[in-house]
Amino acid sequence: MSEEVICVENLVKKYKPVIAVHDVSFTVNKGEIFSLVGPNGAGKTTTVEILECLRAPTSGKASVLGYDVTREEDEIKKRIGVMPQDFNAFERLTVRENVELIASIYQVNPDLRSVLEELGMWEARDRHFESLSGGMKRRVGICMALINDPVLLFLDEPTTGLDPQARKETWEVIRRLKSMGKTVVLTSHYMEEVEQLSDRAAVMFGGEIIAQGSIDELISAYGGGIRIRVSPCNEEIETILMETAQRVITEDSAMEGVFQERTQVAKTLAALYQLDEKYRLDIVEPSMDNVFSRLAGGRVDERGELI
Amino acid sequence: MRGVMAVFSALLKSWMRSKAGIFFSFLFPIMLLIIFSTVFGGGGNSQYVLFVQNLDVDSNDNPTELSQGFVEALKATGAFDVRSLEHDVDIKEYVRLNPSFSFRYRILMIPKGFHEQAAEKTVSVKVKVTVSTLEVVGEEFAAYMSPEDIEGIQRGELALQTMLGSQGGESPQLVLLMDEQDMAAPALLGIIHGVANAFSNGLVGSEEVLTIEGMPLEQRTMKVVDYFLPGFIAAFIMTNGIIGATTTISEYRRNGQVKRLATTPLPKISWILANVLEQTVLAFILTGVMIALGWIIFDVRLIPDAYALLLILVGAVAFCSVGMVLGGVIKDVEAASGAGNAIAFPMMFLSGAFWPIEQMPGYLQEVARVLPLHYFHDGLLQIMVYENPGNAGMAFVVLGCFAAVMMVIAVKITKWKEL
Repeated sequence: MSEEVICVENLVKKYKPVIAVHDVSFTVNKGEIFSLVGPNGAGKTTTVEILECLRAPTSGKASVLGYDVTREEDEIKKRIGVMPQDFNAFERLTVRENVELIASIYQVNPDLRSVLEELGMWEARDRHFESLSGGMKRRVGICMALINDPVLLFLDEPTTGLDPQARKETWEVIRRLKSMGKTVVLTSHYMEEVEQLSDRAAVMFGGEIIAQGSIDELISAYGGGIRIRVSPCNEEIETILMETAQRVITEDSAMEGVFQERTQVAKTLAALYQLDEKYRLDIVEPSMDNVFSRLAGGRVDERGELI
Repeated sequence: MRGVMAVFSALLKSWMRSKAGIFFSFLFPIMLLIIFSTVFGGGGNSQYVLFVQNLDVDSNDNPTELSQGFVEALKATGAFDVRSLEHDVDIKEYVRLNPSFSFRYRILMIPKGFHEQAAEKTVSVKVKVTVSTLEVVGEEFAAYMSPEDIEGIQRGELALQTMLGSQGGESPQLVLLMDEQDMAAPALLGIIHGVANAFSNGLVGSEEVLTIEGMPLEQRTMKVVDYFLPGFIAAFIMTNGIIGATTTISEYRRNGQVKRLATTPLPKISWILANVLEQTVLAFILTGVMIALGWIIFDVRLIPDAYALLLILVGAVAFCSVGMVLGGVIKDVEAASGAGNAIAFPMMFLSGAFWPIEQMPGYLQEVARVLPLHYFHDGLLQIMVYENPGNAGMAFVVLGCFAAVMMVIAVKITKWKEL
């Protein structure tokens, strides 16, 4: 059985008259990347900030590494690493000075070079924080979060506002954290990011968890199935899709079949390939975007707003 | 303690690399000190400008002997920078055409006939004194004189009284034109009155019954910068504490640095102490720079002793705590900066740090006496300039209590959760 590093039961956080977090329960296992995903205002940050001992829960229970978040803050803070949302450091201090500051607070003497090299920041060690790119700043934040060699890291919206290249670089860093044996709790409104990085995820909306599980489980349950879209469509193609697909959608000259089973997809493709007709074929795998759309009835835009 | 020192070091380095921080904490106070000390104390002309229009001129337009003598007597006081207005200038027209002149005009008009009237009045006074003397002699000493002597005295008296009757006896009337708003009017009138009396005494040959001699109050020569230096040190420790700390704290709160630190094992009190320590170190550096500047530029050697350093420490803690409170309450940087300015600047000008509160209206003096900055700079003045730490007791008590109260509020107000 997996070792639980976080256990949350019926957590509630109220800011009169708003309920920011409502009856949230989940567990995080050692060594996994667990994501809280949802649009802005879903309650993700409030939930992780309760776990980081930055907020007090209104009710419910939460423990981190076996310590209660309301009574054993000091023990938790010593053992976790945090990169808060909108992370910032001392602008006019160098990368090295900022990391050394956090090391001094934790009263540890880590091998700074190895920490900075691990995240590709050694070359930039003497640059002022204010002169770094957005992606480099996030990496400094992760260096600072790693300085006390924590077993558990909280990364709150680590790639928000970054360009696609910097985002991909940050993903690599997060994958490396997992390979180092760290447990990572990630919050994000980027569905692709969650799908790419997470072992498990909880979808939050309106302060509640509306679904949780492994990424495969979520997509399988809520992704809406694999879609095969054929265009233009004729009678033969229509017959094949009608016989094999769970559901068929007709749109102008195109036809789309929705499949839950991969064996059915293979059977349909084999039948389609035997036709002499010329047509365009698109296979669309379900994603976390589909999961969220189905669960929340909308999509999340680049800024994290529900559309 | 390691956490306090680590954060303090980060804050200090960050401040030292901030051009704006250095300008407003050091260069701005230095500029103001130089300007104030130069404008109000450094080598300027402290004489009153007095325009004199001498209407008593002879046929060649040269001033008469006595009117010129009176002008020379005015110059001899050293109180006036005497400037001449031509006798044919229409003063009303001149004032109307020169608005800047009329803002603070002081014009003494010596009337036509001054010399003649003064000479006649002098003779008249002398004759009166002689007649009076003859009367006293005739009454007091008649028993000791022969009838011939008494008759001779009476004849002389009669002749002199006849002569008095033929004299005009009118005193020449000087006219001083001044702005009604001129606060120096009483002082100027007093000086000119004194000059006129001395001039009159000189003409009639009488001696002064009372004399006065100006003596320095203390052996030590005081300069204006002596007064400004403690005031500036106190005022800018206050502004650095209130405006600097408020802006810094609210900025660190806004950009998430406080939250970042709150996720670590660093206790809230360490964050507060690190900020107070930073402001205290800045206060000592500012003191050192100002004193060095006073020494180099103004040759003022004020060496702070242990009492002064202790008062600076208490002041820095007090005003930084105010900044911590404001920064803790107001998250918006611009609003926090505005609030800091709204408190610091009125306090700076009302507390008497830049000028003695005795020069201010009575109700403002009462306001000054409830401001902690007043006690801060007054305490430094007593210790550093008058070398009398015993008189700084009130400053220690007031600032100490203020610092304690503000520190308690700062600890209560500063959030380390629910940021």
